[in-house]
Amino acid sequence: MSLTSIIITTHNRPKLLRRAVESAFAAGANLEVIVVDDASTDETATVCRDLTGIKYVRVERNQRVAGARNLGLLASSGQYITFLDDDDVRLPGSLDKQIKLLETNSEAGLIYGQAILVDQSGTPTNQSYPRICHQGDVLWELLGQNFIPCGTAVFRRSCIDRVGLPDQSLAGIDDWDLWIRIAELYSIMALPEPVMYWRRSTPASQQGTSAASRIVLQSVEQFQQSWKNLPRVLSASHEMKRRAWRHFSANMSAHLSFEVLRALRHRQLVQATKNLFALLRLSPAAMLRLLRINNAHSPR
Amino acid sequence: MPSVSIIIPTCNRPQLLPRAVESARAAGTDVEIIVVDDASHDETAAVCARLSGIKYIRLERNQGVAGARNVGILASSAEFVAFLDDDDLRLPGSLDWQTGTLAAARGAGFVCGAMLIADQNYRPTGAVSAPPEMDGDVFWQLLELDFPVMPLSLVIRKQCFLSIGLLNRRIPGIDDWDILVRIAELFPGITSAEPVGIYRQPTPCSGQGSSVQSDQLARAANHQLQLFELPRVKALSKSERQAIRRRTINRITDTLLWNAWRSLPQKEFGFAVANIATALRLNPFRALRPAVVRRMGTTLSERLSERNSDPSGLKSPTA
Repeated sequence: MSLTSIIITTHNRPKLLRRAVESAFAAGANLEVIVVDDASTDETATVCRDLTGIKYVRVERNQRVAGARNLGLLASSGQYITFLDDDDVRLPGSLDKQIKLLETNSEAGLIYGQAILVDQSGTPTNQSYPRICHQGDVLWELLGQNFIPCGTAVFRRSCIDRVGLPDQSLAGIDDWDLWIRIAELYSIMALPEPVMYWRRSTPASQQGTSAASRIVLQSVEQFQQSWKNLPRVLSASHEMKRRAWRHFSANMSAHLSFEVLRALRHRQLVQATKNLFALLRLSPAAMLRLLRINNAHSPR
Repeated sequence: MPSVSIIIPTCNRPQLLPRAVESARAAGTDVEIIVVDDASHDETAAVCARLSGIKYIRLERNQGVAGARNVGILASSAEFVAFLDDDDLRLPGSLDWQTGTLAAARGAGFVCGAMLIADQNYRPTGAVSAPPEMDGDVFWQLLELDFPVMPLSLVIRKQCFLSIGLLNRRIPGIDDWDILVRIAELFPGITSAEPVGIYRQPTPCSGQGSSVQSDQLARAANHQLQLFELPRVKALSKSERQAIRRRTINRITDTLLWNAWRSLPQKEFGFAVANIATALRLNPFRALRPAVVRRMGTTLSERLSERNSDPSGLKSPTA
């Protein structure tokens, strides 16, 4: 089996990092673990010195997640690549299972799996995401929604030579963008079972609500400027394109509506307003729907 | 393991590429030549198949020059990297001495040489673009654009990218300046007036559009504000930062005006207008100094009167 590189990017979270690294080592037999320390200002460097067997990359100027992932790629030598966040945990043996499957299909560029959702206290829930694992030519499904949890995806290094590196200016959606670019040219596989524990973002974490409207607007821009212009999308029928946009914008407005309600519940009025404006730009109809729901729920 | 990788991004220029590759081959004894074909849709792939001893990477989707360079950096197996555009040339032996110098200076991040400016037919015009000769910290000169930056004249220690990141795809045309400023913030550099390459200077009518150069300079002026976020700049006092900003804007304005003035005799009026408009936007007071206006006026009226007296001047230039 060829070498796999697990690229773990981290920034000021030394407590969680160790668990992520240990889970990475247990996930497969022939692998290298690369920890990219994205200009942490705490004891991360010291913690990494104690972690045996890792390849430690110290970035001096903060690159944010996507830029740090690219530097992990630069430091890596594996034929297969996977990214792991410092608060994620890979399941034992999961990587070997995925790669074995990927090696059975030379047409496939990437294989993903399910993630067990973990709540804020760190306890696993009984939910896995995604519930349905699309396989094969998934470009059109992916355009509507990112159903590939970043840490579960393993892809061939050779994909990068054809589609380019992750776009470091797309903070928060760089993985989605990369999956779409890979799915445009390659078939995608899935191992329909959990391969990692995944702590999703919440208001308390740094990726909380304040980022939600920015990420949605950035996704919309990326859809319009880039994804829509991928050759396979351009040459598709009008109906296909329309369906993809409808799926995408429905998903985005659902996401924003949820964030508005969450911000309201936490009495973050500024944030709620920001998200509402983002929603208004994306889909006025969805906003009306939201206002109606909100009225129905508000105490009288 | 080769000592240096020379990364040549190319897009739809199969007639020029082989010459660039041959010059790269002659530039060093231990060179890995990486051609990154940025989704060309002509016979570039076939031309590359005939070139022996290169590492050919075929991007199926266009990534732009910076994106293609990044893919090249990723594919490189050497300790040092150099960049070459598909229409420029490296001088024989130049990579050998640059890598030798950089290998000997252990802490240095890059070595920068000079380049000969050539016309569209690779004929040297006699002009040389050379960096100020200095060793060590060139950060401030780079930040102020007081330094001719050309990827062609550089050899960079690959390790540096791990500290400061890869090239930025979102700033076409100035990604090389941006990366060098970031490297120089942390690593000393070595500069030399020794020519290492031949730069094929674009003319306003060489198909790159009359406003490309002025757009790039405007983008650089804009982008400098982002570079002001670097810790070494942030540590300065406000008045020091303002002084840097003022000098840079003045320098860019002067360059724009000079480009405009220089293009008047060639009757590249679109180019001149684009440059003057950008200069006016950046620093109207400097652009409207009486001396500048007078000089532009004189040149312009000379051209115009020549045009009226000489009917051949009315003919459109043949391609």
